[in-house]
Amino acid sequence: MTDKHDTKPLTPAAEPLPPCAAACPAHTDVRSYVNAIARGDFEEAYRIARESNPLPYVCGKVCAHPCETQCRRGDVDEPVAICALKRLATEKHDLRKGHAPGLSVAEPKQDKVAIIGSGPGGLTAAHDLKRMGYQVTVFEAFPKLGGMLQLGIPLYRLPRETIEIETAPLKELGIEFVTDKRVTDVDALLADGYKAVFIAVGSHVGRKLRIPNADLPDAWLNTEFLRKVALGEKIDLRGRHVLVLGGGNVAIDVARTALRLGAARVGMTCLESCTKQPAHPWEIAEALEEGIEMFHDRTFKEIVAENGKVKGVRCVKVNFRGFLPTGAPDMDEFPETEHILPADLVIFAIGQGPDLSFLPKDGSIAQTPRRTLQVDPITLATTKKGVFAGGDAVTGVGFIIDAIAAGHRAARSIDAYLRGVDPASVQPPEPEQLGDLKEKTISHIRRLKREEMPILNAETRKGNFDEVYLGYTETQAVRAAQRCLTCGAGATVNAEKCIACLTCVRVCPYEVPVLERGTAEVAVDQCQACGLCASECPAKAISMKLYNDNDMIKDIRSAVHRARGNGEPVIVGFACRYCAYAGEEPNVVKARLPKNVKTIDVLCSGKVDALYLLKAFEAGADGVFVAGCLVGECHNEKGNVHAAQRVAYVKRLLDEIGLGGARLEMFNMSPAQCADMNAAVSTLLTKVKELGPSPVRRA
Amino acid sequence: MKSGSNLEKVLTAGYFAATGELGPPKSADMEVIRRKAGLLKGITDAVNITDNQTAIVRMSSISVGIALLQLGLEPTVQMTCRDRNRLAIQSDLLGAAAHGVKNLLCLTGDHLRFGNHPTARGVHDLDSIQLLSVVKTMRDEKKFANGEEMDVEPRFFIGAAENPFADPFDYRPYRLAKKIAAGADFIQTQLIYNVPKFAEFMRRVCDLGLDKKAYILAGVGPIKSVGMARYMQTSVPGMDVPEEVITRLKGVPKDQVKKEGIRQCADMIQQIREIPGVAGVHVMAIEWEEAVHEILELAGLLPRPKV
Amino acid sequence: MIKAKQKPITEIKGLIAPYNNILVLGCGTCVTISFAGGEKEVGMLASALRIAAALEGKEQTFAEATVQRQCEWEFIDAVADQIQRADAVLSLACGVGVQALAERYPDKVILPGVNTTFLGMAVEHGVLMERCRACGDCILGLTAGICPIARCAKNLLNGPCGGSQNGKCEVDPDLDCAWQLIYDRLARLGQLDRLATIMAPKDWSKDFDGGPRKIVREDLKL
Repeated sequence: MTDKHDTKPLTPAAEPLPPCAAACPAHTDVRSYVNAIARGDFEEAYRIARESNPLPYVCGKVCAHPCETQCRRGDVDEPVAICALKRLATEKHDLRKGHAPGLSVAEPKQDKVAIIGSGPGGLTAAHDLKRMGYQVTVFEAFPKLGGMLQLGIPLYRLPRETIEIETAPLKELGIEFVTDKRVTDVDALLADGYKAVFIAVGSHVGRKLRIPNADLPDAWLNTEFLRKVALGEKIDLRGRHVLVLGGGNVAIDVARTALRLGAARVGMTCLESCTKQPAHPWEIAEALEEGIEMFHDRTFKEIVAENGKVKGVRCVKVNFRGFLPTGAPDMDEFPETEHILPADLVIFAIGQGPDLSFLPKDGSIAQTPRRTLQVDPITLATTKKGVFAGGDAVTGVGFIIDAIAAGHRAARSIDAYLRGVDPASVQPPEPEQLGDLKEKTISHIRRLKREEMPILNAETRKGNFDEVYLGYTETQAVRAAQRCLTCGAGATVNAEKCIACLTCVRVCPYEVPVLERGTAEVAVDQCQACGLCASECPAKAISMKLYNDNDMIKDIRSAVHRARGNGEPVIVGFACRYCAYAGEEPNVVKARLPKNVKTIDVLCSGKVDALYLLKAFEAGADGVFVAGCLVGECHNEKGNVHAAQRVAYVKRLLDEIGLGGARLEMFNMSPAQCADMNAAVSTLLTKVKELGPSPVRRA
Repeated sequence: MKSGSNLEKVLTAGYFAATGELGPPKSADMEVIRRKAGLLKGITDAVNITDNQTAIVRMSSISVGIALLQLGLEPTVQMTCRDRNRLAIQSDLLGAAAHGVKNLLCLTGDHLRFGNHPTARGVHDLDSIQLLSVVKTMRDEKKFANGEEMDVEPRFFIGAAENPFADPFDYRPYRLAKKIAAGADFIQTQLIYNVPKFAEFMRRVCDLGLDKKAYILAGVGPIKSVGMARYMQTSVPGMDVPEEVITRLKGVPKDQVKKEGIRQCADMIQQIREIPGVAGVHVMAIEWEEAVHEILELAGLLPRPKV
Repeated sequence: MIKAKQKPITEIKGLIAPYNNILVLGCGTCVTISFAGGEKEVGMLASALRIAAALEGKEQTFAEATVQRQCEWEFIDAVADQIQRADAVLSLACGVGVQALAERYPDKVILPGVNTTFLGMAVEHGVLMERCRACGDCILGLTAGICPIARCAKNLLNGPCGGSQNGKCEVDPDLDCAWQLIYDRLARLGQLDRLATIMAPKDWSKDFDGGPRKIVREDLKL
């Protein structure tokens, strides 16, 4: 079990959130779980990720990760691979411990709640309400659970087993799932004893452009196509020449699916230019790798047919600037560029909306002009009392994580409503976000390459529905997690103890602390949490948000205690994680160490205060070492040099008091050398054995 | 005449002066004084007595000065600012003058750190320039440092030291001017081994007209061994020992080095004599007083003039 | 400000040897800034002394506390209880603080844990240098802002002496010759002619030579 002093969960809305958590619609505590992975505590990472999200396995694979777009690491080099890290945490989680270890269920309540739709929004609301104690029934029109997860996301992105991992525990929780049941009468549900209803039907109705021949047999619709494939219908597209109309993420799903069904040629065409294509860049790249052709800057005038057979699409090049508020495209057409893109199968993928035909005809549940459900944005209440709605049914096509957030919000609202409390009052305020990194700070941050996600190569993958992304290894994950800047979780200065000695200003590798108003101030949005100011401050006025001296001293005593027992010298080591586990998996490295050697992990040896070294000896250690990166390799420029100076100082002190400075050593190691920490530790062990056991013994 | 000392008369008469130096013993043994005095008697115009040189405790300069007077030599008492405050300084000066000491060399003093009592307190109530002023004021205005008048004033021929090779090099001639303005009648420099550089220094000194205001004596001294030469070149601050000086000594067999050192010193004296503005030489044969006679003889400076 | 350096631990051990319950009392101002006696140093010293006591089989306990400044009655009054409980107080304050404690708690053994060394500044992180000797009669206006009393080993007022070499003092090759610095600075300011003026002997009676000093502000004292 690793020492946990580096993880403290963030208190929601108590302080500015780092951009990742702020950008996440569910405000996942990204920073904490990434930090846990950085020190090899994968179970802890899973626990944190699961806390705010009942579908972590799914999100780990297919979340659109808006967190990464806002990740401040992206201002330095590339964003942290937050989504891939969540995936790793789920893969390392031992499901025998349960899907949600530690989450409780309240005493059962009488009230029944109905949820229409088993997509991510519905599942989340169901999960939350069930944990609050309510009786929950989920009605799903289709035979399988999952909504768009099941019916829209292709297998090569999201294996069906992954969905099963998420839905099985929900059944075990006691949520009643009714599949193949299309709700047609909401009022009836209310009359039937359901005190509240949550409509989460998603946007499963594709749209066709009203162009000539749009209804030919070989002019298909995105949603129907993907749903048929998902429900197991065998569609053979061998030899076909497919053209997908549309350039978004769904269009790409359609195109890549068509390819895997054997299509000889697959092309996509859209209004947008190459640089403005409204799909995730990585999906576009993967599609291109698979040989899908892209035809940008086009509007479609007509499906060209001959004897009822599709021959192609007549297109005209355009200069597209975006959609107007009315929904009409703002563009110039160039009629002289008219041409035909050949195809024998056309699939529309230009958008989709909710099927709201089941709503009461009296309009008591109102719609928006865009024909989505109208709701109060804070409470998600529709115009009918007791009926709430969220997810794609309200927003049109959105991200899974948006739907999950909506499910949480709806659950809070419904719970408040059922308790007679104003649903708006239980919604947390939108948290403040940290500011941007200054250029000055960025210039000092060590550049680290983003780990490449192992991926099946295009030739291999395009002929089947095998999962394309393979997921990080443990080693990759630890390295990837170490790129996190721990935004907003750095140093705090106690102004009462600060004597403005300027030490923190002088030692910070990132030029963050300032002394302008009498005491030092560390800007929360610039601090890189390297810990040097805290360990150098002579007034002990600085502490780190994620750990403090008391935590460390407890860990030291625990390490000494655990290292005792077999008559061998007790050795405590402070191991810098940047080198120690960057080369090989943490638990593997630790397992190789002898039982009498226990390490305390720190992110950067610069955090090792000289006091900690003395405390280790005071606690009874016979020998102590600090393992830091090679000089010049320190993540924080000179953290390891400061550490070495402190080690030399304490060595002299130990000589003077007669304990023997040889009991303390600093090792500078590369990640490769850390894999065999034994070699370095054995030289220390020899010296310690020569000196004999330390006469200091603590209870 | 400022003091009427022999040295003053020799210099005033226009002769090229030659002074020597005597290092007192680290004991109360007067026999050492008698022996050394014997080696220097009659061959120099005046004999300097060092004052706890290099911050090492030795028999006091004034007491040795008085002894030399009794033995028929003319002393130049050296006084540093390191070991005495202005009361002790003035008090000692009254006593020295009362006993007949007429030449006084005013120095700052080597730092205690170099000596054998490094834990002592360094006084430095006055610096060498302030000391020069005090002595001059006593002699010419019959006033103590606090402005009080005295009946019978000490009349000294006042000297100061200068190191032409110390830094800031450009400032040294101006410092010399300051010492002369403060009261120096004559100057004795530190050991010279780099004659051209010394010549450059003297050129600037003469440009400032300082050779007309004070008598400048160049410090010279024989080198006993190659090791000693190397030591002075590398380890003594303010010493400039050119490589040719060492090469010359290396060029003779080991048992000849001492003789060569003496010859080398004499040759240097002759070169230095050619430099305008130099009024004499101050021979420092450290713990080798026997060599002085031969050096001066070879340099053609014997016999000394009778004035 | 006042700069101090912790006494060697063997000396401290000798001082505290006769006592059992020792209060290690730090000071939050000058000695904290000199990295000699602030809260951090208190923690480290107490830890080292515990180890030392265990090594010698001694029954000593070490309590830890730090006050904002030991040279203020109010601040040291605030730790009266802790001081009373201790057999001896190992003060890491400068000499002023140690004496204030001893005066305020005359029945207590107060021991110094640091050597108050000089008035100076940090020229870079970790390097403290003497700059002022508190001579009571500041002449910095005459020496281009460089003090020959504090920075010249012989406190010459008409320096440099003959031992100045390459801008360094004969006493220590790493020590700048103050008079070289003064010369250079006066040259920069176009004031080299000042060096021709002979600076008269200093009035040391304004320094400690006149006896222990006192400043009284008649307008502040009631």
